[in-house]
Amino acid sequence: MLSKHDLVRVAENVWDIPPTFRDDMRVPARLYADGDLLEAALTDNSVVQLVNTATLPGVVRHAIAMPDIHQGYGFPIGGVVATRLPEGVISPGGVGYDINCGVRLLVSPATADEVKPYLEELASALYTNCPSGVGVHGSLRLNNNELDKVLHEGSRWMLGERYASGEDLDHTEEFGRIPGADATYVSDRARERGRNQLGTLGAGNHFIEVDQVAEVYDQSIAARLNIYQGKVAVQIHCGSRGLGHQVCEDYVGRFQKTVKDYGIKLPDRELVCAPFESTEGQQYFRAMACAANFAFANRQLLAHLIRNSFEQVLGGKLSSFRLHQVYDIAHNMAKIEEHTISGHSMRLCVHRKGATRAFGPGSSVLPDDLRDIGQPVLIPGSMGTSSYVLAGTEGAMQETFGSTCHGAGRVMSRAKAKKMVHGAELSRKLESRGIVVRAGSMSGLAEEAPEAYKDVSRVVDVVHKVGIGKKIAKLQPIAVIKG
Amino acid sequence: MNPMRDFEEIEHTADRSFHVRGKSFAQLLENAARAMHSFSRIEGEGKNSAREVEVQGVDRETLLVNWLNEILYLEQRHGEIYDRFETSEVNDTHLRAKVYGRCSPGGSHIKAVTFHNLAVSETTEGFEATVVLDV
Repeated sequence: MLSKHDLVRVAENVWDIPPTFRDDMRVPARLYADGDLLEAALTDNSVVQLVNTATLPGVVRHAIAMPDIHQGYGFPIGGVVATRLPEGVISPGGVGYDINCGVRLLVSPATADEVKPYLEELASALYTNCPSGVGVHGSLRLNNNELDKVLHEGSRWMLGERYASGEDLDHTEEFGRIPGADATYVSDRARERGRNQLGTLGAGNHFIEVDQVAEVYDQSIAARLNIYQGKVAVQIHCGSRGLGHQVCEDYVGRFQKTVKDYGIKLPDRELVCAPFESTEGQQYFRAMACAANFAFANRQLLAHLIRNSFEQVLGGKLSSFRLHQVYDIAHNMAKIEEHTISGHSMRLCVHRKGATRAFGPGSSVLPDDLRDIGQPVLIPGSMGTSSYVLAGTEGAMQETFGSTCHGAGRVMSRAKAKKMVHGAELSRKLESRGIVVRAGSMSGLAEEAPEAYKDVSRVVDVVHKVGIGKKIAKLQPIAVIKG
Repeated sequence: MNPMRDFEEIEHTADRSFHVRGKSFAQLLENAARAMHSFSRIEGEGKNSAREVEVQGVDRETLLVNWLNEILYLEQRHGEIYDRFETSEVNDTHLRAKVYGRCSPGGSHIKAVTFHNLAVSETTEGFEATVVLDV
């Protein structure tokens, strides 16, 4: 086990584990945390998992963990690892089973006070119109040709089907489509699992939340994003559903042999990987891009269903409530990006496992209307607590391959949370605070109790203080919809 | 670990994990499937069902993961939940089995079975392993 003595304090809230800590480390491991968050990280195996990622072939500079780090499998959740191309590897476990799990934020010109009289009705409409729960089917039935288009085009396919606007695409990471997708490398089983799941939320920690803007920290950037105090916002948190799970499973299974073929030695079999430019590495990357595009399309269709729900409930009652998209970000993904390290431009495969891209102002990959303010970053809190909107920074470009945290981070197991918290009681508690709850499973609700998570405000304060994310606004929930 | 127990849950912050044992590798596989079933929040109902399963792996660990993943796949594919597992032919890289259960629309809420720190080890009493599930 690791202790605090194995860490070197580099600066306030920045800790390093030098490569001398373990023989197989290729680079240092870096952890961003305040004192309490560091203590929390040291209570389980998450920091050992971070050290394990510093052994991946081709890893550059340092393996990073964000302040919301917690124990995962293979990579810790909250991990960022970049490998240098062409010789560096890509690791399916470094992306995870829910490929392109992410968050979309929509904002309305209507205020929370205007919407509250209709909130119960609105929450019911969202719960009915946005299918949630395990293995649930959506309203779209895609034939093979249409599914291929979704896998190759992502949200762009939705534009043709009138489920998306140009503004939605501009305000989505990678404009809603990861290049390089090739459905040839997606198994029949993955296609079968995903075919009927487009436009569904799923279960677990996924949710739709109606929020009000509770606090604005940077008025000018917030105004550029249509975020104003007291207005209503909607967050969607979900990913690529069964299709993504199956793609990951297929390649983690296949790579068990691939690592032997390439003579790659690893401390954990979930870290299996392949050189990015190898046949196997390319096949996984192209399949992963398909799953990522499926997830963008999934959140896009859910946004459409949410807009319909707003229209259904608020139409004729409020004069102005149209939902504009602030941004859509991925927090489980491997991306090919150019970064400058020690003055040299490098092409990298950046794995973000429970971490968010946070490109700073001036980045050429941002749309024209956002380029000068930096990429919006969406940090959902645990259920019933605050969420945050940040902006990417130059500090993130310099220190973390343009990455920042992704959420609160768990501190308590699901089993323990269920023992401590009763779903029905939690639901009543949330309702007593004025939060409307629609949940398919009370025990599922209990697993996601706020007590099971770190304080998201502390997590966000750390990234703000170390300069890898800039606080723009805080959101407070007024309705929660879960599977 | 209680010597009388075939499996028990291990604390895991974000996901679910269990330690499993068996007098033989075949029994370990059956017990692992029962352990995974114990995490399902859903009970089957209605008509009984039985499915034939055949799984390959390059070693014991991949066979164990592929077996459990196959069960999750069948549960989602057919909208069923299985609670009884009978292996027939088993070696280190191949198994045949029959799984029994009932209808449950949607199947299990478990996303996948991982290889995290997975090693099937032989002990004086048989076989044991610790499995992490992504939920």
